[in-house]
Amino acid sequence: MRMIRQAAKPVSILLTICMLMVTVPYKSSFAGMIGTETALDMTRGQEARNYLKGIVAREDVQTALIAQGINPLEAKARIDSLSDAEAIDLADQIEQQPAGGSALGVIVGALLIVFIVLLITDILGYTDIFPFVKKHPKK
Amino acid sequence: MSIASLMISSCGSMLSRQWPQPTEALPIRHELDTVPFYPQEAYQCGPASLAMTLTWSGIQVDPEAITPEVFTPSLKGSLQSAMISTARRRGRVAYPISGVEEMLEEVAAGHPVIILQNLGLAWYPVWHYAVVVGYDLEQGIVLLHSGVTSQKRLSQRVFNNTWARGDYWGLLVLPPSRLPATATEHNYVSAVLGLEKAQQWLAAIEGYNTALARWFSSLSARMGLGNSYYALGDLESAEAAFREATRQFPTNGMAFNNLAQVLWEQGKQQEALEAASRAVDLGGPLVEEYRRTLKEIQKGKP
Repeated sequence: MRMIRQAAKPVSILLTICMLMVTVPYKSSFAGMIGTETALDMTRGQEARNYLKGIVAREDVQTALIAQGINPLEAKARIDSLSDAEAIDLADQIEQQPAGGSALGVIVGALLIVFIVLLITDILGYTDIFPFVKKHPKK
Repeated sequence: MSIASLMISSCGSMLSRQWPQPTEALPIRHELDTVPFYPQEAYQCGPASLAMTLTWSGIQVDPEAITPEVFTPSLKGSLQSAMISTARRRGRVAYPISGVEEMLEEVAAGHPVIILQNLGLAWYPVWHYAVVVGYDLEQGIVLLHSGVTSQKRLSQRVFNNTWARGDYWGLLVLPPSRLPATATEHNYVSAVLGLEKAQQWLAAIEGYNTALARWFSSLSARMGLGNSYYALGDLESAEAAFREATRQFPTNGMAFNNLAQVLWEQGKQQEALEAASRAVDLGGPLVEEYRRTLKEIQKGKP
């Protein structure tokens, strides 16, 4: 055990130096630039929001929302107020549902509409079904 | 309420087990005849599977040639991350997929799929890579290039059991000109970003263009295109990409920041200053980066 500890120190120093050598020149040659990885992270929240809004804009979903006494405009406004992480989380939840996967949104089954409507009413605070929907305390 | 959550959770678990009905995009049977077969040596299923898909994609390699990169002798196996990075280092887009439906759709679109099976049990795993080269929904079989058997016929049930224990992990190895049938914008751009990381700039440029052909207004793909040209030192093409991004997204500072940097390096001081100030004005979470760019440009020559 002691031998391992004694050996570990020089090895880890060596590794640190190696890693520095790998990352430093790569980074410095891109000074001033926003990397694609950052861009991808930054745009993800916006894309998720657009995806959610696209769903709310669907006629079948709107009909179901109105039937529940919910104004689709309010639903859209609430989507805007989600943080990036929340919007991504919700979009992922919907995408994981069967038949909801395609970004083109083929046929949304009756089941999926129930799910989406409940999700939106959850965001609006009318219902409290999904644990992953963060509640915004009323101000 | 309990009914709703029950319904949803049961759907979730059925999702990957379900074998879909044939549709227009999913013919009842499909077989790929252009995927070469390399019989594997002991424990070399990783290199063999990867070599088959790489060769299919137009990169001629033997399993032996890539074994040092892919295979970890102490594990007597190949890690998924090593499979991915080896494909990227050869300028191929490595695109992970998951689940039976995606796998079948990709095969129907003509793309062989590497899959990770656990041929043993959860507590006694026997990991194995194979390549799906066909299926027949009517007969309920999957065709695999696996081990020493070319076009091995496996029943859906056995296939499902062994793949479920591998978490339904699948991998496409595609030329960057070819979009996966089940691609989503985010996942595809992430996969192309992997080519940037492997410093395969030309392949990355081709991949971003493939993404943009499908999602014309993808900001991340447009940024990636500009960044890849920049990395190659092709400042004019980089400028064109960032300019297009600023045109499409006039309220996003990222593209203005990179445009400023590229203009500056071309000696276009005034234009660079304007773009950098614009980025700072637009603000956002990256505003500190934009300020730094502006400051550098104000200092004078690069």
